[in-house]
Amino acid sequence: MMPIQVRLGRLALHLVLAAGALLSALPFLWAITTSLKPARLTYTPPLVIPTHFQWQNYVDAWRAAPFPRFYLNSAIMAVAITAGQVLLSALAAYAFARLRFPGRDLLFLAVLGTMMVPFHVTLIPNYLVIRWLGWVDTYYALVVPRIVGAFSIFLFRQFFLTIPSELDDAARIDGCSRLGVFWRVMLPLSGPAAAAVAIFAFLFAWNDFLWPLIVTNSVDMRPIQVGLAVFQGRYGTRWTLLMAGTIIATVPALVVYIVAQRRFIEGVTLTGLKG
Amino acid sequence: MSPPKALAHPPLLSTSLQGFLVAFERHDWPSAFVCLLPVALIFGLFNIYPALYSVFLSFFRWDGFNLQREFVGLDNYRTLVHSGAFWHSVLVTFYYASGATLLSLVLGLALATALNSNLAGRTIYRTLYFLPVVTPMVAAGVVWQRLFDPTHGVINGALSWLGVTGPNWLSDPAWAMPALILVGTWRRAGFNLVVYLAALQAVPRIYYEAARLDGASAWALFRFITVPLVAPASLFLAITSLIDGFQMLDLVFVMTNGGPLDATNVLGFYLYQNAFRFFKLGYASAVAYAIFALIFLVTLVQWRLVGRRAEVAYQEAA
Amino acid sequence: MRQFIWQRWSQALAVAGLLAALVGLAAPGLLGAALAQEPLTLTFWHYWDGVNGDTLDRLAQEYNAQHPGVVVEPVFIPNPELLSKLQTAIASGDTPALAIADVIWMAALKRSGGLAPLDSFITASGLDLSDFYASQLDFDRFEGQLYALPVSTNNLELFYNKDLFRAAGLDPERPPQTWDELVEFGQRIRQADPSKFGYELFTQGGEGTTWQFQVFLWQLGGEFLTPDGQPAFDSPAGVQALQFWSDLIRTYQVSALRPWGLFGSGDAAMVMDGSWMVQFFPPQINFELGTARFPIPSGGQPATNMGGEHIFILKGDPAREQAAFDFIQYFTSTAVQVQWDQATGFTPVRRSVAEDPGYQAWLRDTQPLLIPFVESQQYARARPSVPQYPEISAAFSRQVERVLQGQATPEEALAQAAADVRAILAGP
Repeated sequence: MMPIQVRLGRLALHLVLAAGALLSALPFLWAITTSLKPARLTYTPPLVIPTHFQWQNYVDAWRAAPFPRFYLNSAIMAVAITAGQVLLSALAAYAFARLRFPGRDLLFLAVLGTMMVPFHVTLIPNYLVIRWLGWVDTYYALVVPRIVGAFSIFLFRQFFLTIPSELDDAARIDGCSRLGVFWRVMLPLSGPAAAAVAIFAFLFAWNDFLWPLIVTNSVDMRPIQVGLAVFQGRYGTRWTLLMAGTIIATVPALVVYIVAQRRFIEGVTLTGLKG
Repeated sequence: MSPPKALAHPPLLSTSLQGFLVAFERHDWPSAFVCLLPVALIFGLFNIYPALYSVFLSFFRWDGFNLQREFVGLDNYRTLVHSGAFWHSVLVTFYYASGATLLSLVLGLALATALNSNLAGRTIYRTLYFLPVVTPMVAAGVVWQRLFDPTHGVINGALSWLGVTGPNWLSDPAWAMPALILVGTWRRAGFNLVVYLAALQAVPRIYYEAARLDGASAWALFRFITVPLVAPASLFLAITSLIDGFQMLDLVFVMTNGGPLDATNVLGFYLYQNAFRFFKLGYASAVAYAIFALIFLVTLVQWRLVGRRAEVAYQEAA
Repeated sequence: MRQFIWQRWSQALAVAGLLAALVGLAAPGLLGAALAQEPLTLTFWHYWDGVNGDTLDRLAQEYNAQHPGVVVEPVFIPNPELLSKLQTAIASGDTPALAIADVIWMAALKRSGGLAPLDSFITASGLDLSDFYASQLDFDRFEGQLYALPVSTNNLELFYNKDLFRAAGLDPERPPQTWDELVEFGQRIRQADPSKFGYELFTQGGEGTTWQFQVFLWQLGGEFLTPDGQPAFDSPAGVQALQFWSDLIRTYQVSALRPWGLFGSGDAAMVMDGSWMVQFFPPQINFELGTARFPIPSGGQPATNMGGEHIFILKGDPAREQAAFDFIQYFTSTAVQVQWDQATGFTPVRRSVAEDPGYQAWLRDTQPLLIPFVESQQYARARPSVPQYPEISAAFSRQVERVLQGQATPEEALAQAAADVRAILAGP
């Protein structure tokens, strides 16, 4: 039995966490409720607790655009980008965190700099590059330009810094090459970081809208977010269908999160070797 | 050309290859080259080249359509320096970016600390707090607009229950930005939670156990073990949230349209308007590089001041 | 033997090389011949979603069935991004054959150098331009040439909530006809239920504010810009209109500073909105909807503001341009426009459509809510077709906001707006 103070503390903690969780979840709950309403009640309360279950909205939303194809495109794009970001970014981060070479900090600043240029002004030049490569309307255009990211490199670098360098030294003494250290020491020890990068890379790719729209011309190459735009038209938003489509589109991202966050298990003491 | 030179080649090649292999083992740079090559190629083609191209565009007057562009030298930058609207946007953006960054960092770390435990239901909490990150902004915009409604909204309802008359949030120039900062924090905290949860995995539990045996309080554990040991993650989050904050656009789109009275006309929105609504792509490119310079400066300061201190704190704690 | 084989080989090679060269030379011709057999595909970019998009698909299919050599392929591009797509397309030369754009974008598009002028096609086809509303074509002319044709339009009139009217003891079949009545009815609504507003103003700035304000200005006989494009809104009419807006909020408290959307959620009884909402409101609201011509100030005149889309050809080879024009001629023809307007609820761009007996019967029998919009088409005014318009609109609405926030008088604000607009027009 826990002492009474601890139990009261836990209870208070639960109260605070639950209130915050409700606030966090509110817009998502609203999306679910709206997706199940008859259109006529779009603007009427209640906001959060579903009182109607118009599953037909999901059927209608699914039929409003070639969603199976959009799903497939998004899946191909998101998986390829996630795999690329995890591997290639980790590789680059290893160089920045552990290797010594001239101009390292300058190069790293340049990498960070790529995050600081507003995307909108590079849109046209970027399209011209894709066109020059002959990649307009292909998966290459959807995947390759985003297969590495400064964000992922930076995140990996910060995690590699927390891995005790005694571990690489030991591996080097055992005859491991530098790339071997990366593969056998750094990568296996950065599970939680890789999970975080994977979550963000997947989400970024899955939610991306403008770039895929600009570099594709045929409807067959579009990802799911472009499909959702059908419900948010020039003259009005069809809220019930938009929210049904949105829920359909969000489920994979949530599943990826729930699976990946299992990596964050309390008490993993991989790096406890040092302590 | 002449045979001797041709014959001289193979040995030269082999020595350089040998030399390379020796260098590969002796120095770090050859491995670094291999590690960075894919990144360099892709960034070069899809980030650096387009960025330089748009620097070039910033010296032109161009509506984004017309096949003819007019070279105007530094005019766009001159206009920008003298534009009251631009400097107003800079201030407003600093306000948003610093507010949302600070609040979401504190909240993210607090949540991660609470949820990196054997607390019952922690998986459910982790999922619920992450929901804002995946909630589409259109849905969030609608709900927050209603929550901020001065007469029917829950927020002012709660305030009046406490005896405070709440403001007309989104339609009041003084309160619209605090409202956006709250929404930005709401969204960003779940994101920071993930990074901090990952970072806390690397903190050996044994530190806490040792400190607990010494009779340290929960606050002391947090202050002297958790905070310094997640410092590299904090630096990462501070820098990336500031960069994101400086470029924020979608919240403004769904909630305020830059108003009231430009109170939420952040740089991202200012740039978007100039590029795609006002057809001033040359000027917008100049704005982009002004934003770039500002973020770069702020990042450099963070890096030098906070970064150094964070790494020192980390090493001392570890 | 060896020698012989080598000879045979070299001969074979020579023949093959010759053949390859011939094929190479002939290939463009062959390819062209093959393409002539293939139907010519005309990609058509648009942002019409839902019923509008479905109707366009149907019309294109009918057209394709009648024209075996051509396939018109409509491609939906989400609204704001259609503009970015057109920018990258024109800048890179990868253009669709056809596209539409919001009237507001036409000032920039027609100057881009990427659109094909239509005059020679129109002359050759004998298309009667005088049947199109002249104010519509103003958007499409540049340096003496026509670059687009209107295909759909809409305008602003009054929507009101009949349930809230009843609750306030007002006759739901008697909407306000004057500004005074707008205020009076609005106050009655508020008295009946203080949590409801009488009239919803667009107070969030930008074009939403400006284009609604222009209606009030025009009703009072004011002008937004002079014919040569200088500010004209800083006039007595402008001051009176802006004072009225300010009074609606600050004096009469009929309206409020709130994000847009109070009418749809049933929290405001009246609103000025576009004819497209005749299609969007009814399925999404939970009250009885009415429409009417917008109230007029005493001594004023009817006026409304028009929006809509215009269709144009992107420069390509002559065959593609001609085929694209043929489709435009089909799409803008009276018969097809009648079908289009009936299916979508857009209001007519041609007189012959508005006067078509079939269209009128359809309107009378099935679309009473749309009647005020079609009636007011003759009073519809066009926003100035200058490329700086979006920036002018933003500067203007900012000053309107200052008045609504109580930070300036209408006179001060309009003088400031005029100065700002002059600066925008002067360049950089």
